[in-house]
Formats: sequence, C-alpha cells, structure tokens
Amino acid sequence: MNLERLPNEEKLSLCRKYYLGGFAFLPFLWLVNVVWFFREAFLKPAYTEQLQIKAYVKRSALGLLLWVAVLTTWITIYQHFRAEWGEVGDYLSFTIPLGIP
Amino acid sequence: MIEKLLRTFMSWTAVTQIFHSLFRISASLSGDVGVLHVLESEANLDWVLKTGPNPPYMVILDSTLFTRSIMMKLKTGSSRVAGVVVVAPSSNPSEGFSPHTTCPNENSGVYSESYDPALAHCNVTVWNPLGNGLSYEEYDFPMFSLKDDNDTQAIKQCYYNHNHVVNGSSPQYPLCAMQLYSHMSAVTDTATCMRRNGINFSLNPETVCDPLGDFNVLASTRPLNYTDKGHKTGESVVIAAARLDSRSFFFDIAPGAESAASGFVTLLAAAHALRNATQEAEPNRTILYAFFQGETFDYIGSSRLVYDMENKQFPLDLDNVHSVLEIGQVGLHGESKLWVHTDPVSRRNSSVNEEVEKLIKNLNSSALNLNFSLQEPSFSQPLPPSSLQRFLRARPIPGVVIQNHNSAFTNKYYESMYDNAEYLNMSYPPNLTPEEQLEYITDAAKALTEAATIVARALYTQAGGSDPIQLQNINVDSQMVTQMLYGFLVKSNNSWFQQMVPSDFAIHLRDRPTNFYVGVTQQHSEPTFLVQYLLANLTGTTVNITQDNCQNQREGEDDKESKHIYSYMWVQGAAPPNSTERVAFCVRSTVRLSKALSPAFDLKEYTSKDYSTWTESRWKSIKGRIFLVASHELEMLTLGVGVAVLIASLMLTYIISSKADILFSSGREPTAATY
Repeated sequence: MNLERLPNEEKLSLCRKYYLGGFAFLPFLWLVNVVWFFREAFLKPAYTEQLQIKAYVKRSALGLLLWVAVLTTWITIYQHFRAEWGEVGDYLSFTIPLGIP
Repeated sequence: MIEKLLRTFMSWTAVTQIFHSLFRISASLSGDVGVLHVLESEANLDWVLKTGPNPPYMVILDSTLFTRSIMMKLKTGSSRVAGVVVVAPSSNPSEGFSPHTTCPNENSGVYSESYDPALAHCNVTVWNPLGNGLSYEEYDFPMFSLKDDNDTQAIKQCYYNHNHVVNGSSPQYPLCAMQLYSHMSAVTDTATCMRRNGINFSLNPETVCDPLGDFNVLASTRPLNYTDKGHKTGESVVIAAARLDSRSFFFDIAPGAESAASGFVTLLAAAHALRNATQEAEPNRTILYAFFQGETFDYIGSSRLVYDMENKQFPLDLDNVHSVLEIGQVGLHGESKLWVHTDPVSRRNSSVNEEVEKLIKNLNSSALNLNFSLQEPSFSQPLPPSSLQRFLRARPIPGVVIQNHNSAFTNKYYESMYDNAEYLNMSYPPNLTPEEQLEYITDAAKALTEAATIVARALYTQAGGSDPIQLQNINVDSQMVTQMLYGFLVKSNNSWFQQMVPSDFAIHLRDRPTNFYVGVTQQHSEPTFLVQYLLANLTGTTVNITQDNCQNQREGEDDKESKHIYSYMWVQGAAPPNSTERVAFCVRSTVRLSKALSPAFDLKEYTSKDYSTWTESRWKSIKGRIFLVASHELEMLTLGVGVAVLIASLMLTYIISSKADILFSSGREPTAATY
C-alpha cells in the first residue's frame, strides 16, 4: 500500500489502528508502525494530522523497545539455563533438541 | 571444503550410548571431523592434546594402547579430540582386558550395607581385578572399533602419506581427515530421557531412548499351568539358573564365551540329559530351568522374575522355591576343578544351612564318579555376581553358584570383545569344512560335558530322584555340547541349528558368532530365540499333529487346555538323505518366555536404587569416511574469491543495465522492412 496516495485522515486512522492493535501482545504491529510511518511523522513537511501521527509513532517505538528488552532477557535466560532446570525446562519447551542436554 | 573422498568404510562398530546415569558418548548431528593421527605411544598423546597444530584430532589406537590411562587423558582433553578409533587385534591380548568395573553389579546384588556391611562393595573379594571401568565413563566424542583389515591399512597409509610428522616439522595441508557419524538422541541419564519420551505437548514428540530388556527362557520338567498365577500348593521347585547375556565396550560385538555361553550351554546339555530320567521316573520336586537375560545390566531378568513371583504374576511364588543351583562361568582351561560358592549370611540360618549342605553333598557325590573335583572356596566369602543374589534379596533361599574360580575371576576378558571361542580353547584342526568343524569335539566341549553331567546328576538327586540306575544313565552327550558351542561361538548358521528352528527364523541365522548383548526391549535378541528353540528340542517331545494345529497351540480341533501348559513349535527339521525337502515336525515342550524388563519401568521409578534402570539411546545411521581436507586459509580464500565474483557480477549487471541505452542503441535504425 502506497502511503503517498492516501488522504491524511486515512493515514492517521491507519496509524492509530496499528498502534492500538499492538496492545494485543502484537509488538510487530508497533515495529511496522515505526518503520512505515517514520518518514510521514518526522521527515515530511507538517500537516494537521502529523502531530498525532508523531505521537503514535513515538509511543509505538517505546512499546517496541520494552518488548525487545523483555523478550531478549527471557530468551537469554531460557537458552542458557534450560538444561539446568531439568524437569521444569522440559515442560516449558515445545521442541527439545536431540543429542545435547 | 576441498575433499577427495577416499573410502567409505563398512566394517564399523560404534559404541551405542547406554544410560544408567553413568555412561555417555556425545557426537554431533552432522558428524565429527578430525585430522587423523595414529597414536604411537602414550607419550605421543602430547601431540594430540597440546602441541599438534591442527586440532581436533581423530585418534587411531592400536588395541595395546586402549588402556584406562590413555582414555582418561583423551577424555579430559576432549576439546581437541574429535573421536577415537580402536583397531581390534586378530588375537586376544595376553595380559587380559576387561572394560567392566572391578565389582560388577555392585549395587544391585544382595550385598549392601543393610545385608552385611563387611561384605558389601567387594570388601572381601574383588571379583574382576582386571576391570578398568571404561564401559562406565562418559565421553564427549564418538568411539569406533575397526577390524585390522585392508580398509584399516588404507587409513593408516593415508596418515603416513599426509599427516605423519617427519623430523619435527609439522605436516602440511592437505591433511587426511576422518568423519564419524554416530549421533545419539538421548542425553544425561535415564530419568531425563524417559521423561522426554513421554512429554505430550511437544511439537515433535520423539522417543529418544528405550529400556534394555528381552525375555527370560524358562522350562520345567513337569508342566506348569501358566494361566494360574500365584502360589501353587504342593509344588516344590528347584531352580536351575544360568545367564544368557554379555556385553563388550562396542555395540554389536559381545561374544560372551566364558561369561555367558559356558554357563548356559552346560545347563542346556544338563537339561537334555535329564529328559529321560525326569519323564520316566518323575522325582517329586519339579526342576525349573531358567535362562536369565540382561543379567549384565544389574540383573534385569532375575529381578523381574523375583518381582513377578512376589506380585502373583507368575505361576509360582517364592514359597514354592526349594533351592537354586546356578551355573556361572564354567569355562575350563585344562583343570578339572570347579568351585561351589554360597552365601555366608543366609547360611547363618540353620535350616538354610542344612539345605545348602545337602545340595553341596549331591554335587560332590555326582563329581566323585567322574574324576572331577568340586570344592567350596577355602575361606568365607560372599557370592560372586549371580542371579541367586536377587533371590536372596527377597528371602533367604538355599542356593549355590558353580564357578571356575576360587576367589577372583580367572576370566581375563570379562565382558569384553576378547571373551570369544579362542579364549575357551575351542581349537579346531586346520583344513576342516564347516560341517566337520561342527561335529569335531573340542577340548572345551569335553570339559563342559563333564561339568554338565555333574550338574544333571546333582539336579536329579536334588529334585528327589532316588533311583540309582536312572542316575547312572544320566550322561551328557559331548557331541551335542560341541555343536552348541560351535553354533553360539563360531557360526549360528549351521546344519544342526537349521534343523531345530522354525523356517521363518532360519533366515536370521548368521555366519558369525552370536551377539549376546541384551539390546532394547522392542528388539528381540538372537540368543533368546536360539536358546528357546534349542531348549524346546532338547527337553520336549515330537508330537504327531498337523502344522495348523501345532501353530495354533493345540493338539486337536477342540483342544483348549493344552496351550496353558505346553508350547508347540513347528520346526524345519532335516532333509532325509535322498531328497532336498526338509521334513518338518511339531515339538511339544514346556518352554516359555517370560518378560525380562526391569520393574523400574513398569513402576516408572527411573531413579530406582532397587532395580536396573538401564536404557539405550536411539541413534541414526552409524558410518564413517576418510578424505583429504584443505587448510582453513585455503577455504577462506575460496570463499572470499567466490563472494568477490558475486559482487563483481552484480555490479557489472547494474552498470550495464543503467547504461543500456548507450551500449545497445548503436545509432542505426533497425531495419523493419517486413513486407
């Protein structure tokens, strides 16, 4: 979808939808929001809706950062300690590698 | 990697990973690659572990270097060791070799702190002094064994051509390397791998290990009703026991000549000799012949039988057992002397002691007439590792174990790949055909015949038989003993075995010694079947019924009772002299198989200290190959050149495409004259 051809209200509404959607444990929507609307929010000359789009993009970036931090921490802990957790580690896993503890 | 595939080898045997919580070998999924190095001496290990410039190394050991000290050093330096290959010698090493522990089945027998602390943990006698415990260590690299044949010479030649260090200069690339695939799915220990077997919500549930086990082979002189489980009033049984299994460090090699075959062949021969005596003049006690599988791995078979007896899962229970006579390692190397071992703790009870003394007296009187000597050990010592120990764990039962050693084992190759026909002195004169070898009575066979006759006569007396004429007529046929030894230790595909097995099993008979490793529960091992069919033919009778009835376990159309007490087998038989068609017939016997799976797996107690918890990891294909490898720098250079060519071609395409109008419009109009 080419943002160039959309009227500004629709751009705002799209940005809002992605922002709200990300709260449903969907951080990728926030990532898309940030990447897609970055140029619209910060690099284009100002227009009425741009202030709100800017706000949404900033908040999406914040949420994304939070998710990245949490997931990275958890993944690191899990990958490092799964073998040591024995039974708990096995019950937390969907796929257990063969041949290594 | 620049490689030139030199040879893919077929004659490999690898070590399979089996667990208790002790033994482990890891190998990577894509195979372990290492630069070949033929180890010359223990000092040469420095090259592999410290100074060699091209780790990791694939170490090739001659069997003389396959010792505990070298293996422990390799184990600690395992980041530089990609794998170990042991070249099996063509004859047994004279100093002996046993990868088992010095105190076999230390924690699963009867001698524990609670039974008698002075006798526990081999405090009195170390049974297997040559044991180096290699089979019970963890290794982080695969280990293979190779026969010393042309392929092995090619490997060593590759090493001498490319890798050998000359005058202190390090070898130049390309170097000879070997890759070994023996990926094992399971890790850590039995409890972990059994838990992973059973996880339900995993995305790809995969069985990673299986318990070891198989079947015990049982037969009785009087038929037992197998559907009537639990105590049988009035039945007093003498158990004649032997073990069926053995192992070695490597998978698929377990010749077990003295550690297993000597004992059960003797018992089979004794059972045959007793057939007439127990049928014509029945003694008042029944003799139960029990061949236990899995005894090497903490008494899988015998612990299961005792468990079944205690839990009313067997047509007898422990109250029915009068006494136990077990035949252990009885290979004789020239002497005519066997030793009768007993348990000193149970003999403190006077009634048990009385029965044991009677049993020993029976054995001695049978030996007297035969110019053979049976003695008790000179000092009070515990029982050697034997199935009787599991019975004693349940209650004090009078029993003896017959062995060929006074205190420590005389077997120099206990549970190793050298415990073979050569060790038992089964030597045949040269230039005999396989048929002639089958019939030739070796010295080993003659010695075991004597031992078997003693056992048979003693069993007859122990079972209450009192007719002296019957006793005198109990004689073991040495022809049969030598044929059994040949069949189990040289080649199972011989004419005698062929006659006694059903036709669908006959194709599984092999042209090599039997592998006595118990294997996983789902896979039935060859020795169990062989002993089952042999026992049926040797203790059973031929009955004249149709093949259909025979295979349906009945003697007639309406017979519904016989299958509870007898088992029927339709065997191939022999071809009469004038034709090539075999004349098949039905054998009726009391032979049964009873499940030999450790109770720990039924009870789901995978860390049990009472029962065996051995499992074997699942594995994919096992193979290896050698090839030449280039240096790392050359590989990087090749990669770099490739990447550069890619980038250059992309750039060239981009440049040409952006200047396409200049390059391809040459100024003249294309003539479009189409008429």
